[in-house]
Formats: sequence, structure tokens, C-alpha cells
Amino acid sequence: MTTVSGFEQTSISPQAIYFQLDDSWRSASGKGVSVAIVDSGIDTDHPNLAGKILESVEARVENKRIVFDPSDNGDSAGHGTACAGIIAKIAPEAELHSIKVLGAGGLGDGQAFLAGLEYAIKKRYRVINLSLGTTKPQFFSPLHDLLDRAYQAGSIVVAAANNLPYPSFPSVFSSSLISVIKSEETDPLNFGFHYGEVIELTAPGVNVRTAWPGGGHRNLTGNSFACPHIVGIIALLLEKYPDLTPFQIKSALYSIAKENQGDDTETRP
Amino acid sequence: MPEANENDFSAKLRRLVETIDIANILTEPLTQSITNLLKISAADINSDEASVLIREGDQGDLRFLAVIGEVAEHLINMTVPAGKGIAGFVLSSGQPIAVSDVGEDETFYAEVDKTTGYLTQMILATPLRHNGEIIGVLEYINRRGDAPFEPFTPAEMDKAAMFADAIASLVNAYESAKLFRELSDKVLTEDENLNVAEVRIWLGGLRDSAEHREMMDLAVLIREIASRGDAERQMCREVLGAVLKYSDSSSETSFLSF
Repeated sequence: MTTVSGFEQTSISPQAIYFQLDDSWRSASGKGVSVAIVDSGIDTDHPNLAGKILESVEARVENKRIVFDPSDNGDSAGHGTACAGIIAKIAPEAELHSIKVLGAGGLGDGQAFLAGLEYAIKKRYRVINLSLGTTKPQFFSPLHDLLDRAYQAGSIVVAAANNLPYPSFPSVFSSSLISVIKSEETDPLNFGFHYGEVIELTAPGVNVRTAWPGGGHRNLTGNSFACPHIVGIIALLLEKYPDLTPFQIKSALYSIAKENQGDDTETRP
Repeated sequence: MPEANENDFSAKLRRLVETIDIANILTEPLTQSITNLLKISAADINSDEASVLIREGDQGDLRFLAVIGEVAEHLINMTVPAGKGIAGFVLSSGQPIAVSDVGEDETFYAEVDKTTGYLTQMILATPLRHNGEIIGVLEYINRRGDAPFEPFTPAEMDKAAMFADAIASLVNAYESAKLFRELSDKVLTEDENLNVAEVRIWLGGLRDSAEHREMMDLAVLIREIASRGDAERQMCREVLGAVLKYSDSSSETSFLSF
């Protein structure tokens, strides 16, 4: 049993406990939870993913605006398929939606990325995987607005941090999304929490074996592959507790991470 | 063309050609510096094969600007189509990635491997950024020695990101010099009033002139001094600044006589 407040139940009043999680989420499958993957597309024929991708759309420029059309172009880079493979491994019955914003076609990288995020928020997908980022300052403000909209719509945005010595957006926005950095942990459910750090969660991201276009698998390293681990775990939580808000999900992840780290005490930096 | 206008045009053209030639002189050592830094970084990351790919055009294609290793000659100046493979993804996403078993279906290197016989097994790719813009990709392929190779580690990815920072500054300087040269070339070749044959003769005369050669020698000398280190660059800047200041304050003609 995980108590989200982090305190022993007997030491505080019952009103202080907003909700309690039992461990049933660990055996959940993400059934009925919609997950958007804003990335390079997904190989929908991959044996690990066949039948799990409910929608594939692709960004296209029309009259200087970005619109989304149904896509059967798959994934020419491999990244989106790899992220989808990790989510499907953790939450095999989650409903995956591929929003392709990377690839050929001369799309401005930040512009298409923002449009893809907006598309996912408008559709009110419950979890949004963003294993992408931008360091362009002009996207700071529009991304902030979009993430506020996501928060209000109840969509939980999970973003990969950047290894580089610059702030990368949106992973540095800590209030309205969950940001993730890679760890060398191998158990997919064993993630950690760094209280007080800009990047809040750590999850497996080193030599992760996952799906690759064409039906094969690859061993991959990067924060990009830590992010879908947390997305998969959120899908499990939402199957069991569908009414959790982004704030409550964050609190739940914090409590579980503390348990994972063998630390039941409430600490502050 | 009236004589005054002709002289004015000729002076402008001369300055343009001088600038192009100096830009050429400056661009060449930049690519050499990028290659040198690539070698140092590859040794640190324990890899013998490394490449700097730069964004080419608006569509997100990548061109191999500097390459070290067995297949360097095959790769240099080759283009990777937009969005293809690991490098294409890193360019468009900004996310560094390491793949420890690339395999035969990795779209770009599989084609290169077929023609060279080289076997690409691992890739570490990280973006080159300048002022928030992604201008290219830095890649390391395989490790030193024989397979099987140990996968690239998170610490090596961090090192690659630091080297990418330094290499990106050089790539940006190279791109600026190249852009300037291309713009100048365009002006020279697209002016309909120019008689190309006459321009070539004029250019030949200009480039053979003692004055032009001396100017190029001076540019090479400054480049040489600048490559020696911070102290030399500082001293050079101060000496040249003092010469200019003195020249400005003296007579209209040259103040130095030998």
C-alpha cells in the first residue's frame, strides 16, 4: 500500500490522506488508457505493436499551417517505434496513438513538434510521450501555454530531459509536466525521484532492448527511452485509478519512487 | 559605362574578390580544426570512426563535412536524406542517442557498408547546437579494436555532448564563412551586365598582382598567429589595432616607408 502523503497513516488525520494506492496497478495492463506518442511515427506492423496502434497521423504543411492527415508511412528513423515498444511492454493494452512530427518534408522542427502536442491535447489523450525537445527560446512561451492547457484538460505530459548543458524545453518546465532522465536500472518498474532537481524522475534508459522498424529489436541508450517507461507506468496507474489528475499522478509517482528507493521518510533538500 | 562609375565598380569588385579569397583561406583551416577536434574526441571516447554532419538546405538533409576512420574517403561530402536513420532523427529531435546493435537494416550505414565492406555495429549520435539551433550531428561509430564491442556508456554520451559544443562553434564559423563566399560568388555570376570573359581576365590580373598576393600572405600570417593561442591572438590584435590607430592619425598616404 502506498500512501501518497508519504506519512504513516496513523500519524496524521484521515482527512490529510487524499488517496491511497494499492499495488493492483503493478499487475494492470493499461487497458482503455489513451497514450499519444509525438515522435517519428510508428511501425504499426511490428509484431510487438500490431493491433495496439489505434491511430497514426502525420504533420503536413498546408497554406503555412500544420495539419494532420492519416499516415501509413511508418517510421523512417526508428525512434517512435522504439518508444512505442517500451510503452507496449509495460502497458500492453494501452491504446497507442502515433503523431508523426519528425521526418522528411522540411517541417520546422519546433513548429511541428508544438503542433503535434496541441493535436494530442485537443484529442484529450490521457498520457502524452514527448521524447523530444527544443532549445529555441522562441518556443518557450507557446510551450508553456500548451502545457497549461494539457494540465487543465487532464492530459499528463511526460518529456525526456536533454543531456546537453543547456535548458531544453519543455523538460525544464517542472510544474505542469513530468520530466525524466535515464538511469542504468534494468527493472522497467523501478524508477526513482530526485526531489529538488529540475529533472524529477529517473527511469531505465541505458541499453534498453526494444522494438525497431522492420520487425527487429535494438539496444538503445538515451533519455528518450527513459521517458516511455514512465508513460507506461502512468497508463497502468490510470487503468486502476482513471480519475487521477496530473497533480495526483505526480504525487503517486513520487510516493512509488520513494518506495522503490527504499526511503519511506519524507525528505527535503 | 562612364569612367567614374567604372572605377567605382572596379573598386567594389576588387574588394569583393579580396574578401572571397580571404574567406577561402579562413574556411580551409576551420575544416582542418574540426577534423583535429574530431580525432581528439574519438580517442577520448575510444572510437576510431567519427563524423561531423551538417544541415544542408531547408529540408533537413545532412552532409558529411569532416570524417575520420577507415571509410572517411567514401563518406566525405556524401548526403544523408532528411529524416533518415539515427542522424536524421537526432537532427530533427535534438535528442542524443546510442545504438549498440545497429544491424543490417540501419538505413543509411547499411548502404555505405555494402560498398565499403565496413561493418557498422554501434552508433553514438549527439546534436550540434549553436544559439539554440541544431546545425548538425556528431557521430561516433564502433569502438577501437575488434568486435564484440562494449556499448557506449552514459558518461561517454556526456563527453560527446561536450565535444559537440566545441565542434558546433567551429562548424558555425565555417558555415558563416561559406555563406559569405557563396553570396559573393552569386553576385559575381548573376549580374547580367557582367561580361564573364572580361571578368575572368580582370580577376586573373587582380589575383596575379603583387598587392593581392601580399594581402593574401598577410591573411595567412594572421591566421597562423591566431592558431598559436590566446596570448598570440591578443598580442596580434593589439599590435594591429595600434598600427591602424596610428595610420588613421597620420597623413593620407601610407605612414610607413621602407
